[in-house]
Amino acid sequence: MKLMNRLNLVVLFVLIVSVGAFSQEMSKDDWQRQMTELTTKRDSLKNVLTAVQNDVANLKKQDDDKAAAVKKCSDELATLIGNQEAPFDALLTKIENLINDLSHLSNQDLWARRADVDTAQSWLDTAKKDPLSAVEKYAKRIQDDQSKLDALKNTIQTTMAAAQAGMTYTVGTWARDRDCLWNIAKKPKIYDNAFLWPKIWQGNRDQIKNPDLIYRGQKLQIPEKGELSKAERTALRSYWSKKKTMMQNP
Amino acid sequence: MKKPMAFSLVGFAMMAMVLTSCSSKPSDQELKQLDDLKAEVTSLQNQISAAESEKAALQKAIADKDAQLAQCMKDKDAVQQRLKAQ
Repeated sequence: MKLMNRLNLVVLFVLIVSVGAFSQEMSKDDWQRQMTELTTKRDSLKNVLTAVQNDVANLKKQDDDKAAAVKKCSDELATLIGNQEAPFDALLTKIENLINDLSHLSNQDLWARRADVDTAQSWLDTAKKDPLSAVEKYAKRIQDDQSKLDALKNTIQTTMAAAQAGMTYTVGTWARDRDCLWNIAKKPKIYDNAFLWPKIWQGNRDQIKNPDLIYRGQKLQIPEKGELSKAERTALRSYWSKKKTMMQNP
Repeated sequence: MKKPMAFSLVGFAMMAMVLTSCSSKPSDQELKQLDDLKAEVTSLQNQISAAESEKAALQKAIADKDAQLAQCMKDKDAVQQRLKAQ
């Protein structure tokens, strides 16, 4: 009896282990099925790989051809430009350095160096005439430089206008200062433009009866610089009309 | 006495069935064959992925060169026009 029970226990144990092991192992049918599926998949992937590799080979050739075309064009452009590119680039760099320098100045200092702004503009105008200015990378640089120069000129104009607002001028003598309305308007600190003298005349009608007669010590208001207004142009026409009449009838 | 005996007999029979059915599994060589095939499939998939990446990179490089070429041609024409005008 005891022996029989022990035997049964052994049988049971072996049975449990065997069933457990069996359930984890693949059957021959499963193996065959997987082999078939994977073989089909492998063959399909090989075809796909071949096709992609052919595409890569074609694209490599295209890439080489494009590189050759780009080099050819670059060489032809370099031939057209000759050895002018380096000096042209140096000119633009010189302009940009000057503009950069002027951009860091205060408004007062910029006003004092306004001649340098004109110099930079002159150099830039020279650069614009060069055939290399047609090349896009240089055209962009020139455009940027012009924008910055325009901003500097604007600042100078604004500074001058602000200075002129409330500006006065004390008349000196003809003998020493050659002060007349024409010469006063011509002064850089005033209008830098003699033709704007009627502005000073009309802005000081209380002091100036005859624009040909101004006196030492007169403190003249200097109106803001700008084009002659309608009233100023009318006054100017009237002035020349009277002068003509006086000359015809001395 | 009979029940334990019957149980033993059933147990032996089942054990015999399990043991005999073990002979319809793939051999070690066949299992290795299957593993090799799986590895080959994985390798092919990786190669395809790498080739697709290379293809995409080449397509981009070609597009970049097309843009460079177009710009160069434009610059060349512009400079030629300027030289003619001088």
